[in-house]
Amino acid sequence: MKKLKTVIQYECLTSFKYIWIFYAIQYACVALITLIVAISVGSTEQVGTNCLEINSLIYVGILGVLGFHEDFKMLIQNGFTRRYIFLATFSLFAFISAIMALVDTVVGNLLHALSENYFSMYGGIYGYGNVFANWVWLFCVYLFVCSLFYLGVLVINRMGKTVSLFLGVILAGIVLLLVALFRFVLSGEVLSRLGKLALNAMGFMGDGSINLLFPVLTFLLVTVLLGLGSYAVIRRTELRG
Amino acid sequence: MNAIQIENVTKKYGNVTALDNVSFSFEFGKIYGFLGRNGAGKSTLINLIANRIFTDEGRILIDGLPAQENMEVHEKIFCMSEADLYDTSLKIRDHFKWIDRFYDSFDREKAFRIAEQFHLDTGKKFKALSKGYQSIFKLTVALALHVPYVIFDEPVLGLDANHRELFYDLLLQDFESQERTIIIATHLIEEVANIIEEVVLIDRGKVLLQENVDALLEKGYCVSGLASEVDGYCQGKNVIGRDELGGLKLAYILGEKDPLPQNSRLQLSAMNLQKLFVKLTEKGGN
Repeated sequence: MKKLKTVIQYECLTSFKYIWIFYAIQYACVALITLIVAISVGSTEQVGTNCLEINSLIYVGILGVLGFHEDFKMLIQNGFTRRYIFLATFSLFAFISAIMALVDTVVGNLLHALSENYFSMYGGIYGYGNVFANWVWLFCVYLFVCSLFYLGVLVINRMGKTVSLFLGVILAGIVLLLVALFRFVLSGEVLSRLGKLALNAMGFMGDGSINLLFPVLTFLLVTVLLGLGSYAVIRRTELRG
Repeated sequence: MNAIQIENVTKKYGNVTALDNVSFSFEFGKIYGFLGRNGAGKSTLINLIANRIFTDEGRILIDGLPAQENMEVHEKIFCMSEADLYDTSLKIRDHFKWIDRFYDSFDREKAFRIAEQFHLDTGKKFKALSKGYQSIFKLTVALALHVPYVIFDEPVLGLDANHRELFYDLLLQDFESQERTIIIATHLIEEVANIIEEVVLIDRGKVLLQENVDALLEKGYCVSGLASEVDGYCQGKNVIGRDELGGLKLAYILGEKDPLPQNSRLQLSAMNLQKLFVKLTEKGGN
């Protein structure tokens, strides 16, 4: 367990500083945009920088990809097993997601308090009533995105580029098939039930109330499934090149 | 058993058989030269031992423990790779810091001492180092790790003659101070010929020979002279290669050295390890 702790520390501490570089660049850009808009329009009401969390989503997506490319090589070189690498990588995802969700929650609520024109992603969907729920939701979303990209890059690495491209085409075909299925095959009642299920999964209940626990559980469930998929792939992943 | 045991290992890449039912051992306390031509299967076997890839058949044991996906062998083996697997954005001193935490047996002070001897700037990031200094960093780590089995895969790649000498000196000093198994996979055979005790020669996925270097050199020799006389001498012997120039012939023989017949104009001479390697592996090689 001592070695697992060390490898988790390695993953987290070597990625920690990059979060602040990312935020420094992001807020510098926002400040610059605000300044330009303020100078040219004379007010900051037109600044279209809602949903700053989308930038964080891109960042954690990149983290999911790099979580494999960089760290797998480094850790396998240092004698760690794939199980340890997987556990350390998911710990990193949880650590980064937790920190970024916290920063984005605080900033999102603060910006909304300063200017009612600003809406964070969570605030736009669920409102601003519960800061803790905001953090948990964002945490789950970030973790889900990391896991999705991690699984994707693991599959691409395992299958090779050509097979992965074919898989992508098949996946696109399935999406088109589903769209056709929804439009032409499934009955209105089935569609209505599926729609309700999706809304319930995201916390919007039939009686108009919002259940903040359901979206969290949904994202966690999907993340666990993605994690299990990632583990199944990484345990047979070989170092390439 | 204190050894790296390779038992009936087969590894295929598509239709290409990189290793074909290979079985042998690297025993504890010896310095091995692990030799083979490009594509012979050296790196594949090293990657299998280091748990970087998986066997299709067979298994590898380190001191009786499975090498595959087993943290119990973490403090037993280290493989210095030719490939760059380290985090390129970390500074060398930070690498030392983390490796010190990863391994109980890493001597960080020794690593800094070795780095100083090589004039390796530990304040630089890995990616900022030249190819030669990247090799120096990697071999510094391997030399400062006191694990029972260390594999060096092309350790002197990009190193100048002075640094290569320094590396071999440090390697021998290290071996004298602490008994362990050192496996050197290299193409610079003559450079390691005086260091290695045993040689494992691999060719086209099969082990051609595993033998003590002195015994091997004792068995390998050349006979030269007129072609007809050389052919006569070579009858019934294990001739591993021939060179011809006009009417003269040079035959490379592996086996017991028979005395030359009286009044013979033939000449016997010793064969060095590199020549032996070349002659053993040149048929059908790339």
